[in-house]
Amino acid sequence: MFARLRNSRGYRKFTRNRGAMVALGVIGAYTAIFILVWFFGVLTRADARERVLPRNTPGWLEKQSVEDRFNALTWYVESHLGSAIPSDLATRPDAQDALRRAALGERRIIDAPPERVLELWADLRAKHKETDDLFLDLEDAENEILDIRLIIADTTSSGGPEDEIASLREELAELEPEAAQLRAEFESSLAGAEAALTELMPMPKGWAGIVYGFRTFLGSNAIGQSISVHAFYSIKIAFQIGLVVATACVVIGTALGAAAGFFGGWIDALVMWLVSTLSSVPYLVLLAVLSFMFTGSQLFDNPVDRPELQLVKLYVAMGLTFWVGTARVIRGEVMKIRSLEYVQAATAIGFSRPYIVVRHIIPNTFHLMFINFSLLFIAAIKNEVILSFLGLGVSGQPSWGAMINDAKDDLTNYFFWTVGSASVLMFGLVLAFNIVSDALQDAFDPKHVA
Amino acid sequence: MWAFIVRKLLYNVPVYLGIIAILMLALRVNDPTYTFLGKNATKDQQDRLRTSMGLDDPFAVQYGRLLGKVFTLDFSEDSWAQPGRSVRAIMISAIPKSLSITIPTLIIATFVSIWIALVAAYFRGRPPDKTLMILAVLGMSISYLVYILFGQFFGAFLPDQPGGIGTPFAITGYEPWLLGEHADPWNWVTYCMLPVLIGVIVTIGYDTRFYRAVMVEETGKDYIVTAMAKGATKPKIMFVHMLKNAMIPIITRVMATLPFLITGSILVEVYFKIPGMGNELISAIKGNDFPVVQAFVAVFAAFFIVSVILTDVLYALVDPRVRLS
Repeated sequence: MFARLRNSRGYRKFTRNRGAMVALGVIGAYTAIFILVWFFGVLTRADARERVLPRNTPGWLEKQSVEDRFNALTWYVESHLGSAIPSDLATRPDAQDALRRAALGERRIIDAPPERVLELWADLRAKHKETDDLFLDLEDAENEILDIRLIIADTTSSGGPEDEIASLREELAELEPEAAQLRAEFESSLAGAEAALTELMPMPKGWAGIVYGFRTFLGSNAIGQSISVHAFYSIKIAFQIGLVVATACVVIGTALGAAAGFFGGWIDALVMWLVSTLSSVPYLVLLAVLSFMFTGSQLFDNPVDRPELQLVKLYVAMGLTFWVGTARVIRGEVMKIRSLEYVQAATAIGFSRPYIVVRHIIPNTFHLMFINFSLLFIAAIKNEVILSFLGLGVSGQPSWGAMINDAKDDLTNYFFWTVGSASVLMFGLVLAFNIVSDALQDAFDPKHVA
Repeated sequence: MWAFIVRKLLYNVPVYLGIIAILMLALRVNDPTYTFLGKNATKDQQDRLRTSMGLDDPFAVQYGRLLGKVFTLDFSEDSWAQPGRSVRAIMISAIPKSLSITIPTLIIATFVSIWIALVAAYFRGRPPDKTLMILAVLGMSISYLVYILFGQFFGAFLPDQPGGIGTPFAITGYEPWLLGEHADPWNWVTYCMLPVLIGVIVTIGYDTRFYRAVMVEETGKDYIVTAMAKGATKPKIMFVHMLKNAMIPIITRVMATLPFLITGSILVEVYFKIPGMGNELISAIKGNDFPVVQAFVAVFAAFFIVSVILTDVLYALVDPRVRLS
């Protein structure tokens, strides 16, 4: 069957389409990631749950402001390490275990005797305290400057005495260099504290360094988990949903459509009744009702214990809804093929009717099955995101929809990394599939109108 | 023609009965008493609520009761999640809000995409056409959610910050603009225009591709060759001869989307917190509010079936070659 496909004119036309070949390459890259994650377990849900950075850390492109760096340092010292390093470390027998638990991804506390760790920790805390004091001073100084500026603006606009403004300006001229000096001191002290942190928790080297780099290059979400792990793990979820839904719909749609088109009579009436019934309600309403059937169930809505089963509701909802279009297309094509000579010849030879359908008719609808598969794949991925956004799809585990849904409020804090990563990865996959299905349509079904 | 209409209506009776049955079955998988009474309700309380909701009758009885209500157009039943509001009141207040977004979206999107498609078809195969089609595919590949999130961010949130350029659009919400006591037409700009713009941008990609394909197919027909042979100019052929004939599939497509106007754009309404039909539906589905969902689907399916039949009839009236059989 594939040999026949390869010799067809459509196949040559398809492979000559350069854009489609590039898009196929992109899909190949996504598929490789899918296989790596799904089959080899390169990324797991546990990786996605792990904290690797302070919350909402931006990715590698964005330079953090000094204040943000200071806040991140404070998080390391006060929340993370503060609770992770016990004060009786030196006397504890399980000291190394306790330190291992303080790791953030691949970044671990230095592998040294407990005394040395405590020494570095004390040094870090002292430096952080110094930076903190400087930060408070700096804030005071800058607030004072701001106040004086406001007073000057007020007095000027209300036409106040000139000499008062002049004396305020003098005061400002005195304060500004002081504040600048404080800022420089603060920055150098911050750099020192950061160096102390790196000494206590050195950046991983070699392979671990590459892994850590991958985990942190897109920053972290609102609870400090790696965005890149979430975004790339979601490729697996998207492929899973796309493959299952598209396969199920193509199989159901082809079987019912071919049966309806070939046998006619009551089978056709029944199938067309189902098709018209399911299309007489907006598909998103149908999807919502069908996937809500599973919500709240212990078995199918339990992302912690049975994350895979949470996807079942999406399979069922989309599988029952989306086969309709395929069935319609295949039915029309089969009705056309049914009256062709080779089918009559097969009937004259005496082949049974089911055999003719399976052997002679369905293979001639392969091109439509391919086109529908790629269209359904896109539809499944897009609707997963929409349903997750409406709270009826995936939650509590990584998926593009869940990522966008969880991070939509971060936009108002000018934090785009979560939404951006999910959207860009999804855009790449959907675009590649759109281009491929266009090219397939051009090559194999040229008479089709959009 | 009347024979055709009657036959079509009869043919669609099983379809109508089917969709209501499927929907009722799917809804009844969940136990609504759980939603309304919470985890700690006693068995007795649950039973009493179930009886008062009519859920312990056999399915056939519940089905018959709903059909009876639909055929007598009796939507006075109270919503379960919003006690005191009848289903009719909910639909009457929600549908106009949806329409004030979906109708402008449909009109603007159709006009704009017909124009873009005309330009693309005019320059078929040349750079303007290719650029427009690449843009259409790019636009189609971006998720609806991304348009909504970034549309709201750049259209309403960012310009409204201190030092921003200012914006006429509200971040979320809805106020009446046409009917009601405090109606102010400017409210439409404030609350509806941004959702409309987002909806237009989302649909333009799909529509443009479809309309261009229709037009390109039309330009291959014999009457175009005839017109060219007679020396008509290319713009005249494109805008007069071709556009008239391309209107038939375009109108068919627009007709097919008409019933969907009353559903509203669910995502936009949910995100912009517009209390339209889409928003009411999603909260009714998530709140196990059976009467609202059932009544809406009954009304929608009726609209849908009637509009499909009407499209066929109109088609035959416009194009004498089409026979209603």
